[in-house]
Amino acid sequence: MMQQITSAQVVILAINSFALGGLLFLLSAGFSLIFGLMRIPNLMHGAFFMLGAYFGVSFLEWGMNFWLAALLSGLAMAAIGGLIERVLLRRLEGQVLPQVLLTLGFAFIIADICLMIWTGDPWQPTPPPELRGAVQAMGMFFPLYRLMVLAVAVAVAIALWILVDWTRLGAMIRAGVDDPPIARVVGIKVSQLFTLVFCLGAALAAFAGVMGAPFLSVYPGLDFEMLPLALIVVILGGTGSLLGALVGSFILGFLYNFGQAMFPDLAYVILFLPMLLILVLRPQGLFGRVMT
Amino acid sequence: MAASALGLREIDAFYGDSHILQKVSFALGEGRLLGLLGRNGAGKSTCINVVVGLLPARGGTVEVFGTDITRLPPESIAARGVALVPQGRRVFKSLTVRENLLVAARPPGAGSRHAPWTAETVFGMFPRLAERRHQIAAHLSGGEQQMLAIGRALMANPRVLLMDEPSEGLAPQIVADVMATVRTLKESGLSIVLVEQNPRLVLDIADDIVILNSGRVAVVTTPAGLAREGIDLTQHLGVY
Repeated sequence: MMQQITSAQVVILAINSFALGGLLFLLSAGFSLIFGLMRIPNLMHGAFFMLGAYFGVSFLEWGMNFWLAALLSGLAMAAIGGLIERVLLRRLEGQVLPQVLLTLGFAFIIADICLMIWTGDPWQPTPPPELRGAVQAMGMFFPLYRLMVLAVAVAVAIALWILVDWTRLGAMIRAGVDDPPIARVVGIKVSQLFTLVFCLGAALAAFAGVMGAPFLSVYPGLDFEMLPLALIVVILGGTGSLLGALVGSFILGFLYNFGQAMFPDLAYVILFLPMLLILVLRPQGLFGRVMT
Repeated sequence: MAASALGLREIDAFYGDSHILQKVSFALGEGRLLGLLGRNGAGKSTCINVVVGLLPARGGTVEVFGTDITRLPPESIAARGVALVPQGRRVFKSLTVRENLLVAARPPGAGSRHAPWTAETVFGMFPRLAERRHQIAAHLSGGEQQMLAIGRALMANPRVLLMDEPSEGLAPQIVADVMATVRTLKESGLSIVLVEQNPRLVLDIADDIVILNSGRVAVVTTPAGLAREGIDLTQHLGVY
């Protein structure tokens, strides 16, 4: 059942694991913020990832620069996410089941719209020209683009950490989570801040979609392949914890790559088993706070 | 009498179908301290919740320095210079002491006669908070959390300060410290509503007294007036 792998394969798998981990962080950081801070189980998050990737595909088809396409896709998704949050989700504040149904319904709607516009064929954009190819070190080749995905994820992680933990805006968001009515009495515009968080989460998912497109490709069903991964990351790391999302993403990146290479028959067991163990033994996740 | 800093006129408020406040009216003069007394469930905190916008009034008006704030959301009321030291303190527990102060910071409104409150001036008033400025608020003692709740309210440079049972659950020495702070704030010219169940804490500091009983204003007087008019506090406040 177990496949033998060489030491060279281990290195390549490790690079791929880091790259996938970075991508998963970009995806799940937003999911974690939205779920951990606003308590909204956003089952559209995989759809945001896929739609963002499709946006990126189209922007690139129009000849746009790769990074501009990724940023623009994020902005477009922020606008769409903000609209959904403001107009629909806001009415369901505190009602988990209606939120689940609404976001799940939207995920299906987005999937069908994508199928209608971008058809059922897979799209695989090429990485930006300067990141094609590989760097050679210690007698091995490291794919440049995947290293860049990792670097971007780390940069985003640091930026988010500074935003949430070290700025007044971040403190206001956390105050709004701690005690929403008193935060409002203190003068914090909690409602607007939460919309901002939702937009940021949606934008990150779309940005991740574009970043992932060159090596995952974009196809119908990508949304519901990514959503469980985001869920596992957040359950492993703990909701609302950026550090948890980062660590959870890398754990999952490694489990995914090494699991598929070494135990192809048990790929899903290896993905979901740690999640089950965490849920039973430490429900708040590795770095999560106990939700109140 | 000085201009009214805060005025409630014929306020009716409900929790569900329960009619909690019934035509409640009183006024806080500028620079004065109004002691709002009443037994548990008399409607004191409900009054405060109506003023800060957490509970919409179904009837009547609330005015701050002549401006109607009755239908405004809490954040807009805060912007008009109303700050609250809530019952049970309710500091933001996952934030540090300093962050608790900074999230509430607001520059003083036009025409403010006092030096603005900043984190440093709050720390000057409460040196113990200064020592703990980087600690998470959840780790503070009850007294320290009360100081933080007061400091947080001051950071908004309010014109009207509402204090909802600031002595609740604190040791006597800490209560004395808190009341000394209230006196200092009053002497600085701030208009204050002090809600208390314990009249002893209020009578020697308040300019005006309002006693609520079963959601209605039962008595409007002054501390001297209470004695002069022979008002029986036990009738309104129960055990005293």
